[in-house]
Amino acid sequence: MGPEVVLSHLHRADGSATYTHNGYCVIGSVNGPIEVLRKDEQPEEATVEVNVRPAAGVGSPKERHLETLLHNTLRSIILTRSIPRTLVQITLQIRSLPEEDSVLGVNTSLTLLPHLLNTSLLALLSASIPLSTILTSVLIAIPSSKNAIPLLSPTAKDLLRAKPLRSLHVFAFSGDRKLLLNESYGSFGYEEWDDACEMAEEVCCKEGGVELSEGMEVEGQQGNLEEWLRQVVKRKVEREQRWRTAD
Amino acid sequence: MASPNMSPQSALSFPRPIFAVLSPHPFLQAHLSTFPKQQLRANGRAASTFRPLGVHTGSLTHTNGSAVIRLGNTAVVCGVRAELLKEEDAGQTPVPATTIIRAGNDNEEDEEIDEGDDSQELSTLRLLVPNIELATGSAPQHIPGSAPSTFAQALVARIRALLLSTQLVRMSGLTIWYTPPTTAGAPNDEVRVVKGYWVLYIDTVFLSLDGNAFDAAWLAILAALRDTRLPHAYWDEELETILCSDDPVQAKRLPLRGLPVPSSFAVFEGRMDDVKDEEVNWVLSDPDAFEESVCRETVCVVVDCSDKKARIRTVEKNGGGVVDRDVMRALIKRAVERWSDCERALSEKG
Repeated sequence: MGPEVVLSHLHRADGSATYTHNGYCVIGSVNGPIEVLRKDEQPEEATVEVNVRPAAGVGSPKERHLETLLHNTLRSIILTRSIPRTLVQITLQIRSLPEEDSVLGVNTSLTLLPHLLNTSLLALLSASIPLSTILTSVLIAIPSSKNAIPLLSPTAKDLLRAKPLRSLHVFAFSGDRKLLLNESYGSFGYEEWDDACEMAEEVCCKEGGVELSEGMEVEGQQGNLEEWLRQVVKRKVEREQRWRTAD
Repeated sequence: MASPNMSPQSALSFPRPIFAVLSPHPFLQAHLSTFPKQQLRANGRAASTFRPLGVHTGSLTHTNGSAVIRLGNTAVVCGVRAELLKEEDAGQTPVPATTIIRAGNDNEEDEEIDEGDDSQELSTLRLLVPNIELATGSAPQHIPGSAPSTFAQALVARIRALLLSTQLVRMSGLTIWYTPPTTAGAPNDEVRVVKGYWVLYIDTVFLSLDGNAFDAAWLAILAALRDTRLPHAYWDEELETILCSDDPVQAKRLPLRGLPVPSSFAVFEGRMDDVKDEEVNWVLSDPDAFEESVCRETVCVVVDCSDKKARIRTVEKNGGGVVDRDVMRALIKRAVERWSDCERALSEKG
């Protein structure tokens, strides 16, 4: 099952997206560019604010850490210099987590992070915030048994079954194949990291330039994320252009 | 000292500190690009030079272990305080089968197998409680008396994640066992039960912050944990409580796993000048506060070479797309070199 997304479904926000994948469901909303508080105002660029709200309870240091990661990553893709002295406010509400999430025994912010990144990008697209590039993110887990195949974007059940894990990696790539974010925890060598990185790049980024058979692609489990994102945007544009093609 | 884009208006010139405050980015770029051979930063270090680590342990007498760390102008104090947690107060006590098997033999192969178990136990029981205090007047942006800032909270979350993922503290050192006497006389490991745990409160206070807070905090915690001695605790059958022996000879050092050492880097993205049309970037090791203020992309690599072979324990990278796989290879190399420096500094005072 590939990720599912509903775009622009919140009417009071400038942009919104609900992203569901592997039992994780995140609602993202974006307001911007809006007026910024005087103390946060930057003369030459926009201020980016990220709020992560957990599924239950109030935010903890874990959410602050996720917010910092998202803030730093999104700030590098939003064209903040084209909308100076404004605020782009991104709110991410975690709606549901898979049941196994709490008993995984792994760093739960890592399993959540790719979903948050993908949601925030979709919400930014929905709000038509000027972006320099897109962003796709994926989780990779390497089980600790010898010669184990790395798990690509595993579900919580897969992780539970594959325990014990040797390392857990989150990668995020930009549209021009640059490594924007990486969080890796565990015990590993450079080669393992390099392999995981290459594997993530293949999933996140599209092969070569624009392919002709774009519409023919069947979205499988190992589907390409950039491909998927293009389909989402295509549907969004088609929906927005309905008034033109109605008759 | 003047940057290439300022040279036409050479009539206007500023003293060094004013240039740094007025336009920090060109200031650092001018430093790095004036002499392409040396590439010295504003603080006099080369791009790949770390600040020397100063360690002093055991200076706080009322803690179980403590350390003071200096990295240039960053100074951190860390104290570890151990408190008892009774088994019945611990809530759910997951004692996996491996814990009992492991209790007897502590050899290396066994450690490989039970990888992952300790971290789950440590996190569900919350036996490690790190806290970081930045609001001590350590830096102008951290106002004393205010609530922990986002930065401080994110720092605590990273420290906690690293403590759990490296499994630095062995569960065996924190568990208090009791073996009931048997009729046969010989103590039987099969029937021994957990009576309590040690909870470690790891408080880290920044005296002054001049960049690279994560490395400084982690090194302080590492040195303090290496210095920690726990008193001998045992279950007293008659009093039905845990007692601690006050004989310092019986106090034991905390058993630790490996020596993970972090190295942080900041990526300075040079702005393109009119003459050359190519972008120039520098990866600065161990950035200070001024450099952090002009760099957006940061990388932190934690390596552990205590087991002969270098293992990477954590890679954290965010904020930009300059560091790719090749650059990362070079950074890991720098981190491995840094590991031996830190190991030397830590074991001298250990």
